[in-house]
Amino acid sequence: MTRLTLSGVSFWYPAAERPALTDVSLAVAPGEVVALVGGVGAGASTLLLAAAGLAPRVVGGRLTGNVERTVASAIVLPTPWTQVSGMAFTVRDEVAFGPANLGWPIERIWPAVGRAMERLEVGALAERDPATLSGGELQRVILAGALAMEPGLLLLDEPTAELDSSGTQAFWRLVRTLAREDRASVVVATSDIDAVAAFADRVVWLEQGRVRGAGPPAEVLVDEAFLREGPGGPMVVLAWRAAGCAGPLPLTVADAAARWVRP
Amino acid sequence: MRRLHPFTLLALAAALPLLAWILPAPRGALAPALAAATLAAAAGPRRVLLPALLTAAPLWFFLFILHGVGGMLVFGVRLTAMIASFVWLVAVLPPARLVEAMVAAGWGAPSAYLFAATLSAVPLLQQRARRIVEAQRCRGLSPRGSPLARLRALRALALPLVLSALHEVDERALALETRGLGAGHRRTPLAPPPDSALQQAARLALLLACGLALAWRLR
Repeated sequence: MTRLTLSGVSFWYPAAERPALTDVSLAVAPGEVVALVGGVGAGASTLLLAAAGLAPRVVGGRLTGNVERTVASAIVLPTPWTQVSGMAFTVRDEVAFGPANLGWPIERIWPAVGRAMERLEVGALAERDPATLSGGELQRVILAGALAMEPGLLLLDEPTAELDSSGTQAFWRLVRTLAREDRASVVVATSDIDAVAAFADRVVWLEQGRVRGAGPPAEVLVDEAFLREGPGGPMVVLAWRAAGCAGPLPLTVADAAARWVRP
Repeated sequence: MRRLHPFTLLALAAALPLLAWILPAPRGALAPALAAATLAAAAGPRRVLLPALLTAAPLWFFLFILHGVGGMLVFGVRLTAMIASFVWLVAVLPPARLVEAMVAAGWGAPSAYLFAATLSAVPLLQQRARRIVEAQRCRGLSPRGSPLARLRALRALALPLVLSALHEVDERALALETRGLGAGHRRTPLAPPPDSALQQAARLALLLACGLALAWRLR
């Protein structure tokens, strides 16, 4: 049973003649992490909006094809400062904004909020005013707000754009944990190609609104066409090739280090 | 004042301008206008009262040009009561508390949010305007000098302010939708502000005062 199914989806923004998505099909299973990669204008963000049911319902435009979700979903957009509710005095209330809107009983809200804040490591910020947070802190709070709604399908648009290196790595580990322990399905639009192999089960390469390639990271990220015409392969792959190293291309630094033979 | 129930603050902010418009001006309207100015001064002479007076001052000037001294006094006092009440309300009523109170009273979350967003728009726009002015200063634009230079600076502020606000409306609508605001559920109040019989009586008294004043004027 898939959590999200897109069948032949095409989407046009209002007053746009060229579609932002063309004939896109995608199915996401429980506990699966799918990474959407592509250059600017590839359509990854639009795909997430369509998957969340926001396009065309909220953004307008026209959609053909079929989008089906079988579980509750939550989406995190790339700009955290426009996602703050503006209706909370504290970070704790900000994280509780979504669950409260869903009408959950109060005894369900606070444990869910606590768990989400613990996972995003924002417990220390609980009593802070959201307006005083840095970009990275705010992004983690917004992510916690999405997790607190306990979605079966999590849609993330550049979720690490405001995070530092260690925060980014911790977040990708959390994505894996959510998929493994909570059986959450996660679809992530990201330009962090280096990290994709570490967190994604499947990669979908988008180009000008079309699916150009899809498959496991070990296939897509080392594909010759992807390396030549895609958004840029993982740095470790490029370094491996530039150094003239032989053998299959490694996807992670650990993999490369294990295979690298000192001259 | 901040501890009062949001509905009490709203009732005060609505009743004072209403009385100022209902009662004969300028003498009758002077009391509610003074009350509004006093509330604004109590909330912060520089932070609340001064911006209210500065906002009202140009209106007094235009009223003087259009209607002379008499008309200026009649309408100026009433407009000042309105402006001072609104600025005071924005200063003392955090939108989050208003939403909680409205939701606890049975309002739908989207309509409560819409109402509260009106109050939160002013400080948000002020904050953004400050950031834009700082950015324009970094690029060499000075908001000081001759009236012409100030007008140029105003244009450089207004356009990005309006455009960025419009752009953000889209993103904010999306974000609120994703966080369940339009899901159609009855929102759970997280911390409904405490109300009291005394405050309820005060609200009723304000309503009665407005009704009686209207009846007296229409008799």
